[in-house]
Amino acid sequence: MNGLVNVIRAELFKALRKKRTYVMAGLLWLIFPPLMLLVGWILQTRVADTFVEDVTSVREVIQIIASPIAITRNGLLLFGNLSPSLLIIVVALIAALLIGEERNQNMWKTVLTTQTNRLTVLSGKLLTAMILLGLLFLGSYLVGPVFGGLGMSFLPTSFGSGWLELLGLYSLQWLFAFAAMLFAFLIIWLLRSLPLGIVTIFFLPALLEGIITFYRTVVGFDRLNRFNAFLEILQLRNTFESLPKYFFTSNLYAPSRQPLSKLTDILDIDVNTVDAGPFASLFSLDLSRSAWVMLVYAIIFAVLLAWSFSRRDIN
Amino acid sequence: MSAISATHLSKHYGRKAAVDNISFNIQQGEIVGFLGPNGAGKTTTLRLLAGLIHPSSGSSQILGQRVPGPNLLKVGTMIEEPSFYPYMTGWANLKHAAILHGGIADSRIDEILKFVSMDKAAQKKVAAYSQGMRQRLGLARALLWRPKVLLLDEPTNGLDPVGIAEIRENLREIASGGVTILISSHILAEIEKLVARVLVIEKGKLLFDGPLTQITQNLDEPQTSYQLQATEQNALEEKLSELGYGFESLSNGYLRVAVPLSEAPNLLSRLAAENINLLEAKREEDSLEDAYLRLLREDGRPS
Repeated sequence: MNGLVNVIRAELFKALRKKRTYVMAGLLWLIFPPLMLLVGWILQTRVADTFVEDVTSVREVIQIIASPIAITRNGLLLFGNLSPSLLIIVVALIAALLIGEERNQNMWKTVLTTQTNRLTVLSGKLLTAMILLGLLFLGSYLVGPVFGGLGMSFLPTSFGSGWLELLGLYSLQWLFAFAAMLFAFLIIWLLRSLPLGIVTIFFLPALLEGIITFYRTVVGFDRLNRFNAFLEILQLRNTFESLPKYFFTSNLYAPSRQPLSKLTDILDIDVNTVDAGPFASLFSLDLSRSAWVMLVYAIIFAVLLAWSFSRRDIN
Repeated sequence: MSAISATHLSKHYGRKAAVDNISFNIQQGEIVGFLGPNGAGKTTTLRLLAGLIHPSSGSSQILGQRVPGPNLLKVGTMIEEPSFYPYMTGWANLKHAAILHGGIADSRIDEILKFVSMDKAAQKKVAAYSQGMRQRLGLARALLWRPKVLLLDEPTNGLDPVGIAEIRENLREIASGGVTILISSHILAEIEKLVARVLVIEKGKLLFDGPLTQITQNLDEPQTSYQLQATEQNALEEKLSELGYGFESLSNGYLRVAVPLSEAPNLLSRLAAENINLLEAKREEDSLEDAYLRLLREDGRPS
């Protein structure tokens, strides 16, 4: 246990002396919220009281863009709705700092002769990564009230409600990200090349999932092709058809995509909506299924990583 | 109890044996030199002992406990070129190691930096350090937790003569505290003033394990060499070749001829019989370095 605490302390000591940590936090905490306020201010000064008001209430739009709750909610949306997502970028950068750098700087021999239990080192590094990610998430959650509160002084916004639900979604997203962190550690460790590792983390899941989606779209409809017949014989056709439900990325971002339904609801866009009551969405079928899927991914990645990490020679 | 022991230790990379069935025991408090040319298997052996790589067969023990195991926390290592986080200062790098290992006060970091004469450069970023400074900082890190065993891989690499002498003094002082040291080098002269016992390794095999002075005795037949000068040096060269003696030309104009000790009296009489007028014949003792090199050559390594 002492060894684990030592590894976590040492990794935090290292991370806090790396500029990248502050750049990441700065980009997340200080760039995005003012941008939201700027958009809100432009809407307020340029669009309000114009013909647009005939179609939609600008005040309402500003509320869902630049209010304290909106900034926090949009921060969460930002994590899972870009490609590659902000979450995977942050995860890859943290993994690069904690595990990729050891190879780049030829530090493994030093680390593993200073703290000699490899699984302790690996666990400590993973926990540190999750602590750093947790701090970034917490910061993203808190900048909403800070910047949004500031914005309330010059924008027609109110504080907003649903803070607890958002906190729950942030926490879930953080937990889901553990599987992504394991994946990032595994890829960087296995590939032994930091740049290649990062690129692979960004694109490999999406590429594999894209290939399957492409197949389903282009070929999958044809029930008579050989591949489908083969799957039929193996009685795997239905499993193959339902594969997208178990895709890594779609499940990984489930919590941060959850507020999207709420947004479309507010904007009266006709999509499948979810119950937006406090905590209700957290335990909806989709999220709980995603949680199980991510748990399975996490177990697979953890077993592969632990096995490979404890066996590989450090040359 | 042995401080370091290896039992039939082997490490293969594909078909190539980097370390081939070596066994040795090093008692607590001993300083042992680990000699061999580049690529002989020294670093691989040290990596095996440090638990960085897994043996293909055999085992090793540190302080009576099988490697890898918790006793490795009592080992200080400096394997190949020491590496550091370049964006941190020397002090911060040691602090990181101190936290990672646990149980080391800041005062110990200051103390060890002073010991290796790095206290004045401690607050500089490692990226700005010279090779010699890195070597010293690497030694400082290896000593940070007062290890009972030190595994040092060519610790004087890249150091100037003054730096080498200082490191040697440092190591003597550490050894006087009862620390067991296994120190590798490919140059005998670097460690002959420090160690009493050597392990010689070549092509992964242990060629010799014993007191340094016994390297010469270990060979089948000791050698001696003569520096020769004749009235006609060209004639001397021709005759030596004719008689089948190997020789080398020295910068002072002499020819050096190495012969087995039993053959030494014959050399001069045979040259005299061939009408070679020798002006001078200086006999040289077989030095440790010569013996070490011959030991390696006898194993088939080209000279």
